[in-house]
Amino acid sequence: MSIKREIIQPKNDMLNVSRNFKLPHSPGIKAGDFIFLSGMVSVDDKTGERNLGTVAQETHQILSNMKHMLESAGSSMERVVKINVLLYDMLEFENMNAVYRKFFPKDPPARTTCGVQLSFGMKVEIECIALAG
Amino acid sequence: MALTRHIVPPPTPGLDMTAQYGWPQCCATRAGDFVFVSGVVAIDPETGDRMLGTVTEEAHRVFKNLKMILEQAGSSLERLVAVHAGIYDRIEYDVLNRVYRQYVPNGPPARTVWSIQIIDGFKVQLDAVAVV
Repeated sequence: MSIKREIIQPKNDMLNVSRNFKLPHSPGIKAGDFIFLSGMVSVDDKTGERNLGTVAQETHQILSNMKHMLESAGSSMERVVKINVLLYDMLEFENMNAVYRKFFPKDPPARTTCGVQLSFGMKVEIECIALAG
Repeated sequence: MALTRHIVPPPTPGLDMTAQYGWPQCCATRAGDFVFVSGVVAIDPETGDRMLGTVTEEAHRVFKNLKMILEQAGSSLERLVAVHAGIYDRIEYDVLNRVYRQYVPNGPPARTVWSIQIIDGFKVQLDAVAVV
């Protein structure tokens, strides 16, 4: 029997970045036991606008939104198995980590961090794979 | 029933990036039949020291570390599914491939090579998904 594929939508419509910015991707896909979220950038959860800031501010906004996204899908931050962090400059690695630790205080998931050029002057983008609830 | 997430313990003290460098990440996680490995760089598996070198030198160390982590998780290099290979400069693409072939000689996994900036001046970083 083939597994079920479902599109994940955030409960907060402001966080539906792909729809709000008319981008050709879904916020996330649930496939069987796994959830795959699209790369998330810093978006204000009250206005839906891009929220550019320091690496610390953007990381905080993204991980708050990621928590909402996972919980909307019946999962949670504790069920994340893999994170990919894209940073505009690896010199800011520790500024990202300082905020990141607060969201994963115990048994953080596997993670890879890469320094890349991001769109719209964003400094951080984070994607994840999690277990469904 | 929902699957459980398992944290794979570091195979050697040097590969414990939280203990060595304070990074908030584990070596790997296992969920169901899948293993997700954190980006592996050229670290001395015993001492945790950075072993910065040429792409060739770093790639050998990275594959040896990856092998240890996969085996700790109940998998192996032969059970790799997909790899993201990060390289500091595209120009060394074939230098990486020469080492890469030695470790996955038969039926290599799906792979994407990215030119990226890697932490602490490393030249190679491998990120992998495998099955147990």
